[in-house]
Amino acid sequence: MTSADVMAAVRADRSAATEGDPGAFEAAVRPHYAPLIRRLVLVLGDPHDAEDIAQDAYLAAFRSWDRFDGVDVRAWLYTIGLRLAFNHKRGRKRWLAAIGRMESRTWADPPDPDLWAALATLDPRTRSALLLNVLDGYTHAEVAGMLAVPEGTVASWISRGRTALRKELDPGP
Amino acid sequence: MTIDDDSDLAGRLAALEAQAPATAAPPTLPTRRRRGRFAISMAMAPVLVLVIVATAAAGAAVVANLAQGHPGIQNPGQPMAGVHMECMTPPDAAAALAVHGFKDVVWQIEGGDPNRKDSTTSTQRPTPPEHGFVIPGSLLDDGSVIMVVDQRIGATGVGDCFGSPMP
Repeated sequence: MTSADVMAAVRADRSAATEGDPGAFEAAVRPHYAPLIRRLVLVLGDPHDAEDIAQDAYLAAFRSWDRFDGVDVRAWLYTIGLRLAFNHKRGRKRWLAAIGRMESRTWADPPDPDLWAALATLDPRTRSALLLNVLDGYTHAEVAGMLAVPEGTVASWISRGRTALRKELDPGP
Repeated sequence: MTIDDDSDLAGRLAALEAQAPATAAPPTLPTRRRRGRFAISMAMAPVLVLVIVATAAAGAAVVANLAQGHPGIQNPGQPMAGVHMECMTPPDAAAALAVHGFKDVVWQIEGGDPNRKDSTTSTQRPTPPEHGFVIPGSLLDDGSVIMVVDQRIGATGVGDCFGSPMP
Protein backbone atom coordinates (compact mmCIF):
# COMPACT_ATOMS: atom_id res chain seq x y z
CA MET A 1 0.00 0.00 0.00
CA THR A 2 1.49 3.34 -1.00
CA SER A 3 1.29 6.50 1.07
CA ALA A 4 -1.32 7.84 -1.32
CA ASP A 5 -3.40 4.70 -0.84
CA VAL A 6 -3.12 5.00 2.92
CA MET A 7 -4.17 8.63 2.87
CA ALA A 8 -7.11 7.82 0.61
CA ALA A 9 -8.17 5.20 3.12
CA VAL A 10 -7.72 7.73 5.89
CA ARG A 11 -10.04 10.19 4.24
CA ALA A 12 -12.63 7.56 3.47
CA ASP A 13 -12.60 5.67 6.75
CA ARG A 14 -11.78 8.27 9.36
CA SER A 15 -15.24 8.41 10.78
CA ALA A 16 -15.51 4.62 10.82
CA ALA A 17 -12.24 4.42 12.74
CA THR A 18 -13.44 6.70 15.49
CA GLU A 19 -16.63 4.69 15.83
CA GLY A 20 -14.95 1.44 16.64
CA ASP A 21 -12.93 0.34 13.60
CA PRO A 22 -9.32 1.31 14.21
CA GLY A 23 -8.10 -0.26 10.94
CA ALA A 24 -7.68 2.95 8.97
CA PHE A 25 -6.09 4.72 11.89
CA GLU A 26 -3.55 1.97 12.43
CA ALA A 27 -2.74 1.75 8.72
CA ALA A 28 -1.97 5.45 8.62
CA VAL A 29 -0.41 6.11 12.01
CA ARG A 30 1.32 2.88 13.09
CA PRO A 31 4.24 3.27 10.62
CA HIS A 32 5.12 6.54 12.33
CA TYR A 33 5.01 5.14 15.87
CA ALA A 34 8.61 3.88 16.12
CA PRO A 35 9.99 7.03 14.44
CA LEU A 36 8.03 9.09 16.95
CA ILE A 37 9.66 7.20 19.83
CA ARG A 38 13.11 7.80 18.33
CA ARG A 39 12.35 11.47 17.86
CA LEU A 40 11.16 11.75 21.44
CA VAL A 41 14.34 10.04 22.65
CA LEU A 42 16.31 12.85 21.05
CA VAL A 43 13.98 15.52 22.39
CA LEU A 44 13.55 14.19 25.94
CA GLY A 45 16.87 12.42 26.31
CA ASP A 46 15.20 9.55 28.15
CA PRO A 47 14.13 6.43 26.21
CA HIS A 48 11.65 5.36 28.90
CA ASP A 49 9.92 8.73 28.94
CA ALA A 50 9.95 8.71 25.15
CA GLU A 51 8.05 5.41 25.04
CA ASP A 52 5.53 6.63 27.63
CA ILE A 53 4.88 9.86 25.76
CA ALA A 54 4.64 8.05 22.42
CA GLN A 55 1.98 5.75 23.85
CA ASP A 56 0.00 8.71 25.17
CA ALA A 57 0.38 10.48 21.83
CA TYR A 58 -0.82 7.42 19.90
CA LEU A 59 -3.94 7.12 22.04
CA ALA A 60 -4.57 10.87 21.92
CA ALA A 61 -4.23 10.76 18.15
CA PHE A 62 -6.77 7.94 17.96
CA ARG A 63 -9.22 9.87 20.12
CA SER A 64 -8.94 12.92 17.87
CA TRP A 65 -8.71 11.00 14.60
CA ASP A 66 -11.90 12.55 13.29
CA ARG A 67 -10.30 16.00 13.57
CA PHE A 68 -7.21 15.09 11.53
CA ASP A 69 -7.19 17.07 8.28
CA GLY A 70 -5.80 14.16 6.29
CA VAL A 71 -2.77 16.02 4.97
CA ASP A 72 0.42 14.95 6.79
CA VAL A 73 -0.10 12.21 9.33
CA ARG A 74 3.52 12.24 10.50
CA ALA A 75 3.45 15.97 11.20
CA TRP A 76 0.14 15.55 13.00
CA LEU A 77 1.40 12.70 15.20
CA TYR A 78 4.68 14.48 15.91
CA THR A 79 2.77 17.63 16.86
CA ILE A 80 0.72 15.71 19.42
CA GLY A 81 3.78 13.87 20.73
CA LEU A 82 6.01 16.92 21.02
CA ARG A 83 3.38 19.00 22.78
CA LEU A 84 2.81 16.16 25.25
CA ALA A 85 6.57 15.91 25.68
CA PHE A 86 6.92 19.60 26.54
CA ASN A 87 4.15 19.36 29.14
CA HIS A 88 5.70 16.17 30.49
CA LYS A 89 9.12 17.79 30.69
CA ARG A 90 7.74 20.68 32.73
CA GLY A 91 5.89 18.33 35.10
CA ARG A 92 8.88 16.00 35.46
CA LYS A 93 11.20 18.91 36.24
CA ARG A 94 8.88 20.02 39.03
CA TRP A 95 8.60 16.46 40.31
CA LEU A 96 12.35 15.85 40.31
CA ALA A 97 12.91 19.17 42.07
CA ALA A 98 10.27 18.23 44.65
CA ILE A 99 12.04 14.98 45.55
CA GLY A 100 15.45 16.62 45.48
CA ARG A 101 16.65 14.93 42.30
CA MET A 102 17.70 16.86 39.26
CA GLU A 103 19.20 14.08 37.18
CA SER A 104 17.14 12.11 34.68
CA ARG A 105 17.60 8.72 33.05
CA THR A 106 19.33 8.98 29.71
CA TRP A 107 20.24 6.93 26.68
CA ALA A 108 23.10 4.84 28.05
CA ASP A 109 25.10 4.14 24.90
CA PRO A 110 24.46 6.60 22.07
CA PRO A 111 26.37 5.87 18.84
CA ASP A 112 27.54 9.48 18.53
CA PRO A 113 28.31 10.54 22.09
CA ASP A 114 29.65 13.96 21.08
CA LEU A 115 26.49 14.87 19.18
CA TRP A 116 24.32 13.39 21.95
CA ALA A 117 26.12 15.52 24.54
CA ALA A 118 25.86 18.58 22.32
CA LEU A 119 22.13 18.05 21.86
CA ALA A 120 21.75 17.80 25.61
CA THR A 121 22.90 21.40 25.93
CA LEU A 122 19.82 22.57 24.00
CA ASP A 123 16.41 22.91 25.59
CA PRO A 124 13.74 20.49 24.30
CA ARG A 125 11.89 23.09 22.20
CA THR A 126 15.05 24.19 20.44
CA ARG A 127 15.99 20.55 19.88
CA SER A 128 12.54 19.83 18.44
CA ALA A 129 12.56 22.81 16.11
CA LEU A 130 16.06 22.00 14.88
CA LEU A 131 15.21 18.34 14.22
CA LEU A 132 11.95 19.17 12.44
CA ASN A 133 13.77 21.62 10.23
CA VAL A 134 17.11 19.92 9.61
CA LEU A 135 16.01 16.28 9.60
CA ASP A 136 12.43 16.44 8.33
CA GLY A 137 12.70 19.48 6.12
CA TYR A 138 9.73 21.35 7.55
CA THR A 139 9.82 25.10 6.96
CA HIS A 140 9.98 27.58 9.79
CA ALA A 141 6.29 28.34 9.27
CA GLU A 142 5.38 24.65 9.44
CA VAL A 143 7.47 24.11 12.57
CA ALA A 144 5.86 27.19 14.10
CA GLY A 145 2.43 25.67 13.48
CA MET A 146 3.44 22.33 14.96
CA LEU A 147 4.98 23.82 18.10
CA ALA A 148 2.35 26.57 18.44
CA VAL A 149 4.87 29.43 18.57
CA PRO A 150 5.51 32.42 16.28
CA GLU A 151 7.62 31.84 13.17
CA GLY A 152 10.24 34.30 14.38
CA THR A 153 10.68 32.29 17.54
CA VAL A 154 11.28 29.15 15.52
CA ALA A 155 13.85 30.94 13.36
CA SER A 156 15.61 32.13 16.47
CA TRP A 157 15.59 28.67 18.07
CA ILE A 158 16.96 26.99 14.96
CA SER A 159 19.66 29.58 14.51
CA ARG A 160 20.72 29.40 18.13
CA GLY A 161 20.55 25.61 18.05
CA ARG A 162 22.83 25.36 15.04
CA THR A 163 25.29 27.80 16.57
CA ALA A 164 25.31 25.95 19.87
CA LEU A 165 25.85 22.58 18.21
CA ARG A 166 28.69 23.93 16.13
CA LYS A 167 30.28 25.42 19.21
CA GLU A 168 29.96 22.19 21.16
CA LEU A 169 31.15 19.96 18.34
CA ASP A 170 33.88 22.21 16.97
CA PRO A 171 35.19 24.25 19.88
CA GLY A 172 38.18 25.45 17.83
CA PRO A 173 41.78 25.85 18.86
CA MET B 1 34.51 15.04 15.53
CA THR B 2 33.25 18.28 13.96
CA ILE B 3 30.43 19.41 11.68
CA ASP B 4 31.35 21.19 8.50
CA ASP B 5 27.93 22.13 7.12
CA ASP B 6 24.21 21.51 7.46
CA SER B 7 24.29 18.30 5.46
CA ASP B 8 26.88 16.90 7.80
CA LEU B 9 24.74 17.90 10.76
CA ALA B 10 21.64 16.40 9.17
CA GLY B 11 23.48 13.17 8.41
CA ARG B 12 24.78 12.81 11.94
CA LEU B 13 21.41 13.64 13.46
CA ALA B 14 19.69 11.14 11.17
CA ALA B 15 22.18 8.45 12.09
CA LEU B 16 21.76 9.19 15.78
CA GLU B 17 17.98 9.12 15.59
CA ALA B 18 17.94 5.95 13.53
CA GLN B 19 19.78 4.10 16.27
CA ALA B 20 17.73 5.46 19.15
CA PRO B 21 15.93 2.67 21.00
CA ALA B 22 12.33 2.15 19.92
CA THR B 23 11.25 -1.37 20.64
CA ALA B 24 7.84 -0.83 22.18
CA ALA B 25 4.77 -1.71 20.16
CA PRO B 26 1.90 0.77 19.94
CA PRO B 27 -0.70 0.47 22.68
CA THR B 28 -3.90 -1.43 22.06
CA LEU B 29 -6.58 0.89 20.84
CA PRO B 30 -9.85 1.05 22.70
CA THR B 31 -12.82 -0.22 20.74
CA ARG B 32 -16.33 1.03 21.26
CA ARG B 33 -19.25 -1.39 21.36
CA ARG B 34 -21.76 1.18 20.29
CA ARG B 35 -24.59 -1.13 19.34
CA GLY B 36 -24.51 -3.08 22.58
CA ARG B 37 -24.52 0.00 24.74
CA PHE B 38 -27.21 1.60 22.65
CA ALA B 39 -29.37 -1.52 22.94
CA ILE B 40 -29.02 -1.54 26.72
CA SER B 41 -29.85 2.16 26.85
CA MET B 42 -32.99 1.63 24.79
CA ALA B 43 -34.11 -1.25 27.00
CA MET B 44 -33.58 0.83 30.09
CA ALA B 45 -35.44 3.85 28.75
CA PRO B 46 -38.93 2.92 30.08
CA VAL B 47 -37.46 2.07 33.47
CA LEU B 48 -35.64 5.39 33.57
CA VAL B 49 -38.82 7.26 32.66
CA LEU B 50 -40.68 5.50 35.49
CA VAL B 51 -37.92 6.29 37.95
CA ILE B 52 -37.93 9.95 36.93
CA VAL B 53 -41.71 10.24 37.20
CA ALA B 54 -41.79 8.49 40.58
CA THR B 55 -38.98 10.65 41.91
CA ALA B 56 -40.70 13.81 40.74
CA ALA B 57 -44.00 12.78 42.31
CA ALA B 58 -42.41 11.81 45.61
CA GLY B 59 -40.40 15.00 45.65
CA ALA B 60 -43.46 17.11 45.00
CA ALA B 61 -45.29 15.42 47.88
CA VAL B 62 -42.41 16.01 50.26
CA VAL B 63 -42.04 19.63 49.21
CA ALA B 64 -45.79 20.21 49.52
CA ASN B 65 -45.69 18.95 53.11
CA LEU B 66 -42.62 20.98 53.95
CA ALA B 67 -43.93 24.11 52.35
CA GLN B 68 -46.57 24.71 54.99
CA GLY B 69 -44.79 27.70 56.42
CA HIS B 70 -45.78 29.40 59.63
CA PRO B 71 -45.55 33.17 59.97
CA GLY B 72 -43.00 34.67 62.29
CA ILE B 73 -44.85 36.04 65.29
CA GLN B 74 -43.11 39.41 64.97
CA ASN B 75 -43.58 39.67 61.19
CA PRO B 76 -45.41 42.76 59.89
CA GLY B 77 -49.13 42.22 60.39
CA GLN B 78 -48.66 39.59 63.08
CA PRO B 79 -49.79 40.19 66.71
CA MET B 80 -46.30 40.75 68.15
CA ALA B 81 -44.96 42.94 65.32
CA GLY B 82 -42.76 45.72 66.72
CA VAL B 83 -42.60 44.31 70.25
CA HIS B 84 -38.92 43.42 69.91
CA MET B 85 -38.93 40.38 72.12
CA GLU B 86 -35.38 39.68 70.93
CA CYS B 87 -34.25 42.40 73.34
CA MET B 88 -36.05 40.94 76.35
CA THR B 89 -35.11 38.27 78.83
CA PRO B 90 -37.03 35.05 78.25
CA PRO B 91 -39.36 35.68 81.25
CA ASP B 92 -40.10 39.19 79.97
CA ALA B 93 -40.83 37.79 76.51
CA ALA B 94 -43.17 35.23 78.08
CA ALA B 95 -44.97 38.04 79.91
CA ALA B 96 -45.29 40.05 76.72
CA LEU B 97 -46.74 37.03 74.93
CA ALA B 98 -49.18 36.50 77.79
CA VAL B 99 -50.34 40.11 77.54
CA HIS B 100 -51.24 39.43 73.91
CA GLY B 101 -53.09 36.26 74.79
CA PHE B 102 -50.45 33.70 73.93
CA LYS B 103 -50.29 31.33 76.83
CA ASP B 104 -49.55 28.11 74.94
CA VAL B 105 -45.86 28.65 74.29
CA VAL B 106 -43.17 26.06 73.64
CA TRP B 107 -39.70 27.25 74.61
CA GLN B 108 -36.97 25.62 72.60
CA ILE B 109 -33.60 26.08 74.27
CA GLU B 110 -30.41 25.75 72.24
CA GLY B 111 -27.25 25.23 74.30
CA GLY B 112 -23.68 23.93 74.17
CA ASP B 113 -20.67 24.84 72.07
CA PRO B 114 -21.34 25.00 68.32
CA ASN B 115 -17.61 24.82 67.62
CA ARG B 116 -17.24 21.37 69.18
CA LYS B 117 -18.61 18.29 67.52
CA ASP B 118 -21.72 16.77 69.13
CA SER B 119 -21.69 19.25 71.98
CA THR B 120 -24.83 21.25 71.24
CA THR B 121 -28.19 20.53 72.85
CA SER B 122 -31.77 21.36 71.94
CA THR B 123 -34.59 20.91 74.43
CA GLN B 124 -38.20 22.04 74.57
CA ARG B 125 -40.25 22.93 77.63
CA PRO B 126 -43.41 24.92 78.47
CA THR B 127 -41.71 27.52 80.65
CA PRO B 128 -39.10 30.08 79.70
CA PRO B 129 -35.52 29.80 80.97
CA GLU B 130 -34.05 32.60 83.07
CA HIS B 131 -31.51 33.81 80.50
CA GLY B 132 -30.47 33.59 76.89
CA PHE B 133 -31.08 35.43 73.63
CA VAL B 134 -34.74 35.30 72.67
CA ILE B 135 -35.36 34.50 69.03
CA PRO B 136 -39.00 35.21 68.24
CA GLY B 137 -40.44 32.09 66.67
CA SER B 138 -43.52 31.06 64.75
CA LEU B 139 -47.23 31.19 65.28
CA LEU B 140 -48.63 27.74 64.59
CA ASP B 141 -52.01 26.88 63.12
CA ASP B 142 -53.45 25.88 66.51
CA GLY B 143 -52.62 29.27 68.02
CA SER B 144 -49.59 28.03 69.92
CA VAL B 145 -46.21 29.70 69.65
CA ILE B 146 -42.68 28.33 69.40
CA MET B 147 -40.00 30.59 70.86
CA VAL B 148 -36.30 29.85 70.66
CA VAL B 149 -33.79 30.81 73.34
CA ASP B 150 -30.17 30.73 72.24
CA GLN B 151 -27.83 29.92 75.12
CA ARG B 152 -25.00 28.54 73.00
CA ILE B 153 -21.42 29.64 73.57
CA GLY B 154 -20.73 32.56 71.27
CA ALA B 155 -24.42 33.32 70.64
CA THR B 156 -24.94 36.83 69.29
CA GLY B 157 -28.65 37.48 69.44
CA VAL B 158 -30.73 38.71 66.53
CA GLY B 159 -32.51 41.79 65.22
CA ASP B 160 -32.19 45.04 67.16
CA CYS B 161 -30.21 43.34 69.93
CA PHE B 162 -27.66 41.61 67.73
CA GLY B 163 -24.30 41.76 69.47
CA SER B 164 -25.57 42.96 72.83
CA PRO B 165 -24.72 41.03 76.02
CA MET B 166 -26.68 37.84 76.56
CA PRO B 167 -29.67 38.59 78.84
